[in-house]
Amino acid sequence: MPKVENPLLLSFYAYYVDKVLSETSNIDEANQKLRDLGHEIGQQIYLNTEIVEKTKDSVTTREDVAKLIDVVYKVLYDKKPDDVDMKTARGSVRISDKDCVWCQEVNLEGMRGFGYCEIFSGILETILEFKGVDAKVFQEMSRATGAEMCTWNVRLG
Amino acid sequence: MSKDLERALSKLRFDDQVLGYSLMTKVGRPFVSFAFPDELFPRVKDSINLYKKDLRLMTIDTDKGLVVLSPVDDNWILTVLYVPELQLGLAIAKTKNVLRLLEGIELPPPPEEFEESSEENLQVLESIAVNASAVEETPTVSGTIALDTPPTILEAASASVEKLSPEDFSVSPSTIPERGPQYSTSLTLDSNLNSEMKTLYRNFGFDVLMLVDGRNTVTNIADSMFQPTDRVIDLLKWSATRGIIIVPRVVEGSVEQEKSRSSGSMGKYVKCPMFEGDLEKVSGDDLTIIRLCDGMKTPEQIAEVTSLPMPKVLQALAKYRKSGLKMIGRTIK
Repeated sequence: MPKVENPLLLSFYAYYVDKVLSETSNIDEANQKLRDLGHEIGQQIYLNTEIVEKTKDSVTTREDVAKLIDVVYKVLYDKKPDDVDMKTARGSVRISDKDCVWCQEVNLEGMRGFGYCEIFSGILETILEFKGVDAKVFQEMSRATGAEMCTWNVRLG
Repeated sequence: MSKDLERALSKLRFDDQVLGYSLMTKVGRPFVSFAFPDELFPRVKDSINLYKKDLRLMTIDTDKGLVVLSPVDDNWILTVLYVPELQLGLAIAKTKNVLRLLEGIELPPPPEEFEESSEENLQVLESIAVNASAVEETPTVSGTIALDTPPTILEAASASVEKLSPEDFSVSPSTIPERGPQYSTSLTLDSNLNSEMKTLYRNFGFDVLMLVDGRNTVTNIADSMFQPTDRVIDLLKWSATRGIIIVPRVVEGSVEQEKSRSSGSMGKYVKCPMFEGDLEKVSGDDLTIIRLCDGMKTPEQIAEVTSLPMPKVLQALAKYRKSGLKMIGRTIK
């Protein structure tokens, strides 16, 4: 039997995703709505967690950003991302997660391009913003739509 | 580098059928590469030099796989290595797909260190710039499409099908479109139909239609092109009105038609149970329910078909989660 982690959170999120999908008319719009939710709860997370204490005051280099991502992962999910790649692409950081919390046991068909876990993009973008980092985050792949793992691209401005 | 470039290239990076890629300067010097075998660079460079006066989309068969070269702009050439077993048409479609993402991105010229041999660079740059406008047409592909029906008959045929509107056709992600009477005309460059399609959909139409072979489902086509399914469906419906492809017609007055009109353009999002386990392990009482779990029916529909109450259906679904039942999310039109 597949075991889901944090079923309460998952049920809430699945409910929200259903609602977003029923109210939007295209995939991009749906992705944006999920990122917006992330932006909003990102503030709460920033205020209520130890992210502030555990990170440097000024986040400037990509290494700092990668460290911040590790802290966010630790605080939110109590684990490390599978990979934080700073080398492959200039000006951006790619996060890979093989056991993403948001899309556990979600299987979507025919919805290529839909970022089921875009909420995390929004959360991270907001936290980075509070840390003074201008960045755009979007989900590149999601396990929900058939990828092997979830990846996000953090594009530094 | 422009930011969107990276996003476009990541499409390649995560494509199973892509072995490697390289964004090269127009003289064939690799600039950004990913898993592209070094030993292929000299060969690619030779080919680029050979065709430097007239470089368009070009394919090279190598022992490592199929290399597709295509100019991005005056300064850059995108080189992608695909797995050897990939169809030529698909490889080209995939490459053009990435090029489409690159459209409108202004790539800066190569950095300083690439300008050592600037005199030679300049010459090639000029010659490619002159020919760049020809990039749109791909002789590699168009050469393979035969015009097998005389144009007069085609015009008569198109007059009779034109009255239909895209809403008259029912295309879902699982629909398998087939080639219609106008298929080859639509892919013939300079035909009226082809220019009409190009005006409406640019090269997207061409790329989708290349994948219509009576076997690929809409989902397959969208997946292999990395395009949203609804965009593909939109094009296919239009193509159906022109007789380019054949898809099922909407049955007048049916319930589904009413539904599709009332919901948004993305369709309704539903979750459908799909059972992939062993039916023999399902106990007799639940068999009627589990048998219907084909990933296409919602629990509500199953309850309706079996005349069982919803709680009973959900109970059964939950029970078999451990033996291969999962919920598939999809949008239905």
